[in-house]
Amino acid sequence: MSYTRLVWRNLFRHPLRTLFTTLSIALSIFLVCAVLTLPAAMERIIARVGSSVRISVHHEAGLTYWLPFSYVHKVRAIPGVAAVNHFSWFGGIYDEPKNQFPNFGLDPDHVLAVWPDYKIDPRELARFKRIRNACLVGGATMRKFGWQVGQEITLRGTIFPVNLTLLIVGTIPEGAGNPLVLWFNREYLEEAMESQGGLRGVGMIWVRADAPEHVEGIMHEVNELFRNSEAQVTAETEKSFFMGFFGSFRTFMRLIMAVGVLVVGAVVLIAANTSAMGIRERIPEIAILKSLGFGRRPILLALLAESGTVALVGGLVGAGTAWGLFSALSRAGKTGYSQLLGPLGQFQMSSTVFAEGVSVALVVGLIAGFVPAWNGARLGVVEALRRLF
Amino acid sequence: MAIPLAYPVRSLLVRKWTSVFTAGGVALVVTATVLLLTLVGGLQRMLASSGEPNNVVVLRKGSTNDGVSQVTRDAALALRTMPGVARRADGEPLASFELVNQPFMITRGGGREIVLIRGVEPVAFDVHRAAHLVQGRMFRPHVGEVVVGVGVRGRYVGASLGGEIEFGRRTWKVVGVFDSGGKAFDSEIWADVADVQDDTRRSNYSGVRLTLDPGTDFGTLKQRIEGDGRFTLEAKPETDYYREQADTTQTLYVLVVTLAVIMAIGAVFGALNTMYAAVASRTAEIGTLRALGFGRGAILRSFLGESLVLAGAGFLAGSALAALGVLAVNTLLSGVQFSMMTFSVATVLLHLTPGSLLAGFVIAGLIGLVGGLAPAWRAARLRVVDALHRA
Repeated sequence: MSYTRLVWRNLFRHPLRTLFTTLSIALSIFLVCAVLTLPAAMERIIARVGSSVRISVHHEAGLTYWLPFSYVHKVRAIPGVAAVNHFSWFGGIYDEPKNQFPNFGLDPDHVLAVWPDYKIDPRELARFKRIRNACLVGGATMRKFGWQVGQEITLRGTIFPVNLTLLIVGTIPEGAGNPLVLWFNREYLEEAMESQGGLRGVGMIWVRADAPEHVEGIMHEVNELFRNSEAQVTAETEKSFFMGFFGSFRTFMRLIMAVGVLVVGAVVLIAANTSAMGIRERIPEIAILKSLGFGRRPILLALLAESGTVALVGGLVGAGTAWGLFSALSRAGKTGYSQLLGPLGQFQMSSTVFAEGVSVALVVGLIAGFVPAWNGARLGVVEALRRLF
Repeated sequence: MAIPLAYPVRSLLVRKWTSVFTAGGVALVVTATVLLLTLVGGLQRMLASSGEPNNVVVLRKGSTNDGVSQVTRDAALALRTMPGVARRADGEPLASFELVNQPFMITRGGGREIVLIRGVEPVAFDVHRAAHLVQGRMFRPHVGEVVVGVGVRGRYVGASLGGEIEFGRRTWKVVGVFDSGGKAFDSEIWADVADVQDDTRRSNYSGVRLTLDPGTDFGTLKQRIEGDGRFTLEAKPETDYYREQADTTQTLYVLVVTLAVIMAIGAVFGALNTMYAAVASRTAEIGTLRALGFGRGAILRSFLGESLVLAGAGFLAGSALAALGVLAVNTLLSGVQFSMMTFSVATVLLHLTPGSLLAGFVIAGLIGLVGGLAPAWRAARLRVVDALHRA
C-alpha cells in the first residue's frame, strides 16, 4: 500500500471525526478571512482613491479652518503643478437629518484636469460647466437615495444658513472615482450666501502634479510658500490624507485582530486534540509498522500529511465560503440592497486574504499535528508492542 | 439510580490533555465573545450615560450633532432668557453657549487625530453637572487657557496639568483636568468660548445646552423654542441626543453576536470529537455500568454532565482571560479609540458587564450541551451484551 493510500485510508477511519475537524477549521478560517478583509478592504479603498499625483492642501490646524481664496491662484503658479481645484464643504443633508454624505462646492472648469482618472462622461461634464445649479453625484450616493440624472434635489444647509436646489446632470462612475461625493459649482453657493455675509475662503485645495517625481517638491514648495502667513498649511499626498481619517480605527482594528488570533488559537487546540486522539488510538499499528522496518521519518510524514490534508481542505472550504459570501454581498450591494447592507456591500475579499486564510489553516494543521505525530514516530517498538499485548 | 458526578469528573482527569485542549478551545471562544461584548458595553455606557435627564440640546433645525450646527448669537441670547430655563442660586440661567471645533492634534505617539474642542462659559460646569475639576482650576477667559478631560490627559503632546498644547492657530495652556465620570465629555477639551470663536473666526455658536426648570415640562419649552419665528431651531432631550449617536452600536452588536455564533459552532465540533472518542474508549465501562443496573437515562445524564463540566471549565478559564484582557486594554492602552459622532476621536473603556459574562456562559453551555448530546445518546443506546462483548 502506498503512503498516499495509507493517509487516505486513515482519514476515513473515523469519517465523522474527520468531518467535524474539517468543519471546525473551515469555520475558523472563514472568520479569519472575514476579519482580515476589513482592514484590507479599507486599505484598498484608500489605494484606489489615492492617486499618486494628487496632493491635498489644507489648513495646518484642521479641516474646520478655511484657507483664503487667493491661495488657489498662488498654488497654481508653482512649477510642476498641472491643475488645481478646491473644495468648500457644504455639509448639506437630503430629506432626513441622518442622511449625511459629503457634498462640496468646487470649480467645474478644473474638474477634468484634477480628476482625469474619475472617467466622468465628457457630455455630463460639459453640462456641469454650463448649468449654474448643476451637480455631479457619486454612483453609491445615487443608488442610496434612488436619484436619477435630470432630477432636481434640495440640500438643506446645516453649517450655511441656506438651502441649495441642485440639478443632477451626471454620475461619478463607481470603481473609478469617489462613489460617495456630490459636487456642485461653488459660485452657486457664493450667490446664495451674498445676502448672508458672503463666503470666505475655501476648505481645501487639490493639486495635481504633472509627474509623480514632482510631488515631493510641490508639497515642500506649498508648505514653504505659506509659512508664517495668515494660514499655515499642510500639503500631503491624497493617500496620506485619507489614511488620516482611518487612523483612529487602528486600536479598534487591533482588537478585532486579537479576536482573530484567539479564534486561530481555539482551532489549533481543537485540531491538535483530534490528531492526538487519532494517533493514540493507532499506537499498535504504528508499532507494527515499525517492527516491519519503517523508519521514523516516513511515519512522521504520513501522520503529518494526514493532519495537513484535513487542515488544507478545511482552509479551502472556509476561505472559499468567505470569498463566495463577500462576492454575493458586493453583488447584492450593486443591485439595490445597498441601503440595507451599508458598508458590508463595499467589501470585497482580495486573493491575498484568500491565500492568507489557506496558509493559516495549513500552519494550524502542521502545528496541531506535529507534537502528536512526533511522539508517535518516536515510539519505541518494544514499548509500543508492550502496550499492544 | 444516578451515576455519581465523580465518575465523569474523574474520567476527564484521566484523559487530562484531551480535556485541557477541549476546554481550552471553549475558553478561547468565550474570551473572544466576552471581549467584544465589553467593547459594545463600553460604548453603550458612554453614550447612554452622557445625557442628563433634564437637559435640553438646542441646535439648528436638521442638525444631528453640534459639529454641524450653527446658532446665532441673537438666538442664543433669546434662549437664555426664555421662561422654562432653570436658574442657578445666584440667578444665572443654566444655559450653556457652546461652540464645537474639531482641529488636529498630535498624539504622543506622533499620530494625527481630530479632537473635539468645546468652547464654553463657566456655567457649563453647572449645566453638565457630572463634569467637575479633579486637578487645577477653571480657565480664565481671553487668555488661551483650557481644561482637559481625563481621557485626553496624557494622550497628546503637553496634555497634562501645567502643560502647553497646540491646536488651531495658537498654543494653549492646560490649567485644569476635569472628569465627567465616563461620559463622552471625558474625551474633550474645554476652552473659553470667546477664545474658540476667535480661533475659528466665527461669531456664532454650535448650539446651546439648557437645564429645564423643574416646574416646566419639556414639551412646553420645545414648543416655545421651535415656534419662535425669528429662528430655525430644534430642541431635544439630551438623553435622546446621545441615544441617537449610539445607533452605530446596534450594528456592532449584531456583528459581535454573529461572530460568537460562528465561533461557537466551530467549538461544538471540537467537543463532539472529544465526547465521541470518550464514549468509544469507554464502551466496556458503559457496559459494566449498565450490567450493574444503571439505566439508559443515567448513562445519558452522566456523559452529558461530562461535556457540561468540560464546557464549564472552559467558561471559567475564558472569563478569567477576558477579564485580564479588559484590564490590559484599559490600563496599558488606556482604552480603545473610536471615531464616532462627527469625526473626532473618543476613548472608550472596555466595560465588563454581567450581561457579557452571561453571554459567555450561554455560549459555553450551548457548546457543552450540543457537543455532548449526540455522543451521550450513543452511549445510552449501547446494548449491554454488545458493550460487554467488545470488552
